[in-house]
Amino acid sequence: MKLSVLHSLFDAAALSALAPLMALAIGALLVLLAGLTPLSKAARGLLVAASLVFAGVLNARILLAEQVPGVVLDGVFVADRATAMWGLIFIAGVAVAWLFSRNYYDEDSSHQNEHDVLLLATAVGMSMMAGARDLIVFFIGLELLSIPLYALAAFRRNRAKSVEAGLKYFLLGAFAAGFFLYGAALVYAASGTLSLDVFADPAQRAKVLESPMALVGVAMLAASVFFKVSVFPFHVWVPDVYEGSPTPVTGLMATGTKAAAFAFLLNALLALPTSSATSVALIALITMAVGNLGALLQQDVKRMLAYSGIAHAGVVLLAIAGAVGGDPQPHGALQAALFYMAAYVATAGGAFGVLALLESDGERMTTLDGLRGLGQRRPYLAAALTVFMLSLGGIPATGGFLGKYLVFSVAVRAEMIPAAIVGVLLSVIALGYYLRVIIAMWMQAPNEDSPLASTKPIAFSARLASTACVALVLLMGLLPRWFLEHM
Amino acid sequence: MHYDLLLLTFLPLAAAFAIAFTPKGAEALQRYLALGATLVVAVLGVRLFIGFGAEGTPVERYLFDAPWFALPSSYGAPTQVRFKLGLDGVSLLMVTLTAVLMPIVILSTWGHVHKRVKEFMVWMLVMQTGMLGTFLALDLVLFYFFWEISLIPLYFLIGIWGGERRLYATIKFFLYTLAGSLVMMIAIISILWTRGTSDVFELINVLCRAPLEEQLWLFAAFALAFGIKVPLLPFHTWLPDAHTEAPTSGSVVLAGVLLKMGTYGLVRFCIHMLPGAAIAAAPVMMALGAIGILYGALLAWAQDDLKRLIACSSVSHLGYVVLGLFALTPAGINGGMLQMVNHGISTGLLFLLVGMIYERRHSRALDAFGGVAVAMPIFALFWVITTLSSVGLPGLNGFVGEYLILYGSFQASPLWSIVGLSGVIFGAIYMLMATRRMLFGALDKPENRELGDLGAREVGLLLPLVVLVVWLGVSPNTFLSKTQPDLEQINVRLAEARRALLASADSTTHPSAEPLQEQSR
Repeated sequence: MKLSVLHSLFDAAALSALAPLMALAIGALLVLLAGLTPLSKAARGLLVAASLVFAGVLNARILLAEQVPGVVLDGVFVADRATAMWGLIFIAGVAVAWLFSRNYYDEDSSHQNEHDVLLLATAVGMSMMAGARDLIVFFIGLELLSIPLYALAAFRRNRAKSVEAGLKYFLLGAFAAGFFLYGAALVYAASGTLSLDVFADPAQRAKVLESPMALVGVAMLAASVFFKVSVFPFHVWVPDVYEGSPTPVTGLMATGTKAAAFAFLLNALLALPTSSATSVALIALITMAVGNLGALLQQDVKRMLAYSGIAHAGVVLLAIAGAVGGDPQPHGALQAALFYMAAYVATAGGAFGVLALLESDGERMTTLDGLRGLGQRRPYLAAALTVFMLSLGGIPATGGFLGKYLVFSVAVRAEMIPAAIVGVLLSVIALGYYLRVIIAMWMQAPNEDSPLASTKPIAFSARLASTACVALVLLMGLLPRWFLEHM
Repeated sequence: MHYDLLLLTFLPLAAAFAIAFTPKGAEALQRYLALGATLVVAVLGVRLFIGFGAEGTPVERYLFDAPWFALPSSYGAPTQVRFKLGLDGVSLLMVTLTAVLMPIVILSTWGHVHKRVKEFMVWMLVMQTGMLGTFLALDLVLFYFFWEISLIPLYFLIGIWGGERRLYATIKFFLYTLAGSLVMMIAIISILWTRGTSDVFELINVLCRAPLEEQLWLFAAFALAFGIKVPLLPFHTWLPDAHTEAPTSGSVVLAGVLLKMGTYGLVRFCIHMLPGAAIAAAPVMMALGAIGILYGALLAWAQDDLKRLIACSSVSHLGYVVLGLFALTPAGINGGMLQMVNHGISTGLLFLLVGMIYERRHSRALDAFGGVAVAMPIFALFWVITTLSSVGLPGLNGFVGEYLILYGSFQASPLWSIVGLSGVIFGAIYMLMATRRMLFGALDKPENRELGDLGAREVGLLLPLVVLVVWLGVSPNTFLSKTQPDLEQINVRLAEARRALLASADSTTHPSAEPLQEQSR
């Protein structure tokens, strides 16, 4: 068997399945090496951009090809249209975080190189998580994502908040990793395999889940992944970590990590019996309620977006609940989650990015008070942030609306209409705080004593990223045909 | 394919874009660009109105149809969501009203919008696109798009240019209407999935044969969204706040057009698409309408703030519309449609007039006035005509609508018709009392002696509306005859649904006798 893995490493399907990951990994190594050379910052940036673009093209090739590589490497990894789309979403998330980070770390800019390497590594990890058909492969992906993120969270190491965020994230993340491994061990002991295929087949699944050991194992696995997507009751770390981390990294945590964990959850949770749909839906609704009510109380927009991220995790979980509950549309939940997360990457990534731009050194520009009158001072940034807020709130003409539409479609199709109605009403609460951001920017005069936004011109990279995010959000909202057909 | 409707809908948006890129200080340019764009739209709208139903006008002129995107459906083949705009008898009056009202509204901003003119014009024009799109959309998803998008401009208009409590009012307005809309979204999702189409006319053919139980829950979801927008009792509390805090032009658009989106939705979707449920729910809706008439009138009577008074009178007047529509008789529906236009014109006029006097006096409290007729005779003339139109004096527009509504609803339910009739009396009381306190009596407050009368611009923008007030009152058939054929369709549907309800009541013993079967798609 070991030999066959070696052989299959070199067949065409496996190569094409792993090509995007390799492009990112090789890119990361090259950037690392480039740090030793006297190459300029711009040249090194070009290297990062090239590897992201190259990986994106390789994913697009799988997405648009007639024949997808499918399951490779003895069934531990899969590359199909869905994973290719996930891959594109991850790359977009990393690209947004990277572009906004270019001019973010003034005082630590000497470490920009390490920063970029870590960012690229997270992209490899996320892609691996999405394609994993085996618990151990998934775990490697998870760690490949998490460990760089611990470092990135603490990247502004001369700031107490950043270090605190890194430490908190690391400690809790380590626990989650432990849970995952223990759970995987229990599942292995009960079923004799680590492959997710066991759960794909209803008969086998029922047999495995008969043993209490496997049940405990599955519960531990779920707890670990719920931690990553920040689903209730595993969400409490989110506000502190998101607030303390450097803002572009927060954006990546909110979008990329969540997307990767959902890519896995979509496979794994579908293993649940139909009867558990109600409990999953309940968890989803509680998560939405906790996130939205928490966000309503925040004065700091970054922290508010952290809570809103919890709520958004709840929304996607509702789609999964619908799928568990017997959505008659095949891959309906997958399409909904892909579209929702793609829109979310552009929206939340862009929103965190704009906040990153506004954080002038040392001063807290990200409070609602600090945003007052931004529409007058910096109309373009304020307009971008307005589009992002409306998209997060799910208002039509933005990608967020169609994402919400698709997610609630899954619940309606599974005949969970009460849950859907409670869900949409909870999302009305969400508008309550998104609108406050818009109010602060456009409808309130600036505070006399509030720090003025830094007057330094916006860097090209950040301008590119925010424009691209706005364009993507509007494109997904107004002309979604291509996205719907490929998701 | 004709692009008239596309041009009509998106010309304001294009103008908004153009204005957004004009230099910051060029206020005159921004104002005249907005005025020019809305005037062109008004001309287009009137041209469409004149041609509508006339011999030899190609039908395609009133339709724009292009594929948009696809969503899953239970039939395997996906539901094609289309970008379909169309003008018919149900939307004709609303579209024309929107097109004609907007240049007047823009012209009125000369007097009261002095800060951030550029943004104001942008939002006004975006709003026009949203409203026209809502009335013209003949695809359920497209309708929902425009329906929700039209919230955003008003949110900004109230929030930036509004009064003291504008932030509270604007958030309340947004969240109230959004909550209703989202429940409607769930219903739309369900329809698209089970019926496999989002075309409004196809759905009208399909859904009227749906089982009553399904019709009823869909009806409830749609009626909630529309009822909040109208607003129907008990969902009316956002309206007085929004109206009071909104700038004059925002109030005019809100009363003149935005609220009509709710009543339009009731006709198009709740009644025409779900006739069975409409018949079943008619007693409740008529009761809500009639109580709304009375309650709104009493509320208005108790107000001291002129603007709030008119806002509350809106609740009352829209109660008439709902009462008439849900009488489900030809006279009632005709009257309801006509009253929608009437209310748009009369209340629009009232808000414009209140805005004009507020610009001079900086107060809207009734106590602050008295004897204004002496200081401002032209203003007084317009105010009296408008008041009389609003209370339904024969010969002016309000009378025809109210008469048809009360006549139509009496056929359906004498009780609620009489309750509604009492509202007419209260309506006369509070409007005439307000007029007396403001215009007549002693000119005893020194501030009021200084008030200057209306200028040429103000008279110019009021005159077209006054002409409409008289025209609608004297010759309502100019308008009703155009809508008649399509409203007839609704009556045919309702008659069918009544027969089906009777038949299903008869056939409980032998269910195979169900006369109407699911139409093959």
